[in-house]
Amino acid sequence: MPHTCSAPVWRLVEGQRLAHRCHDGQCVLFNDLTGDTHLLEHAVLDLLAALRAAPASAAVLAGADGLPDSDPGILAEFDELLADLAALSLVEALP
Amino acid sequence: MAMPTLASLGPRELRARLRGPGLRLQTGPFVTCIRSPLAPLADTLAAMYADYPVLDDGALADFHVRLSGPTGLRRLVRPQVHFHYDGMAPFQPLPLDQAFPMFEWAMNWCVSSQAHSWLVIHAAVIERGGVAAILPAPPGSGKSTLCAALVNRGWRLLSDELTLVRLDDGLIDPLPRPVSLKNASIGIIRDYAPDAALTRPVADTVKGTVAHMRASGDSVARAAEAAAPAWIVFPKWQAGAAAELTPVARAPAHMRLAENAFNYSLLGEAGFQAVGRLVDDARTFDFRYGVLDDAVAVFEQLLRERT
Repeated sequence: MPHTCSAPVWRLVEGQRLAHRCHDGQCVLFNDLTGDTHLLEHAVLDLLAALRAAPASAAVLAGADGLPDSDPGILAEFDELLADLAALSLVEALP
Repeated sequence: MAMPTLASLGPRELRARLRGPGLRLQTGPFVTCIRSPLAPLADTLAAMYADYPVLDDGALADFHVRLSGPTGLRRLVRPQVHFHYDGMAPFQPLPLDQAFPMFEWAMNWCVSSQAHSWLVIHAAVIERGGVAAILPAPPGSGKSTLCAALVNRGWRLLSDELTLVRLDDGLIDPLPRPVSLKNASIGIIRDYAPDAALTRPVADTVKGTVAHMRASGDSVARAAEAAAPAWIVFPKWQAGAAAELTPVARAPAHMRLAENAFNYSLLGEAGFQAVGRLVDDARTFDFRYGVLDDAVAVFEQLLRERT
């Protein structure tokens, strides 16, 4: 599905402090809301930190990573990742 | 002044305390008040806990447990032992000859379900030269067999089952108690360490045939001596396998250690930070082995590499 101006804008869920530890490109993250611990690639933690700094769409996040911000395939991958993070109560779409 | 030991009470006083006000037995940082009229349980406690400190009647206890026998006609037909904790009966009764295994399992339950001043990991832990190796593993991995072998070759037993990690400084507090051996491991350890003191094997428990190996006097005497974690080793016994360590990256090691902790989620971020500190401070390995002597040699090598 093509990205439009109505594409969701994502933010870090309030209450997440992103307590983490990173080693060799991998990170463990403590989820303040569920008490779970997640094993993440460092790039995913960077994405969460970016959303803590400011809400952003998939296109903005792709652009910040130096990726084409209008490539449907790349945007679909970001959408899928953000949906996974939302399912973990780490991010949410702005209403 | 040194505290009296269980052995110093003598059999008559031991039974009187068990039948009456309770035997206040110190194991590591915990005092358990034990009450039971069961003479065979008293005899096995005397054999397995002879060197442990006992406190006076009325001393505060962390856990209050009672193991009672059958009453009425039940004494004649398949007699059972019942475990009570603070007046509750959290477990189904077991056949009477399983009284001591039940006591050991119940003691583990007391600690794992309530000792939340520590991160409690389901793991054996041993010490030598002031540093500790943590052996987390599911049942059937050979954890207890390996632990029993190592403590019969100069390592100090901190625990066979419950690793107590302090939340403030990451050190490990010992909880030396008898080592639980199951099925084929019983014969293996009898052959490997003929001088080790084992209980009579009890057959047909939920874990198969079980026996317990007494902790060494040195382990018991040094039960207040904490140790720094140096290695986390996930053991796996495999017939015929050469002893081999494979490093585990720290982030996956964190996840695997957390899965083996009883109260990781309950502790919240404190548990997260405690496990994080452990994997920071210790080297983590998967360890496959097939022969105990080879496994012990690998641990000796790990120790040499530190010095």
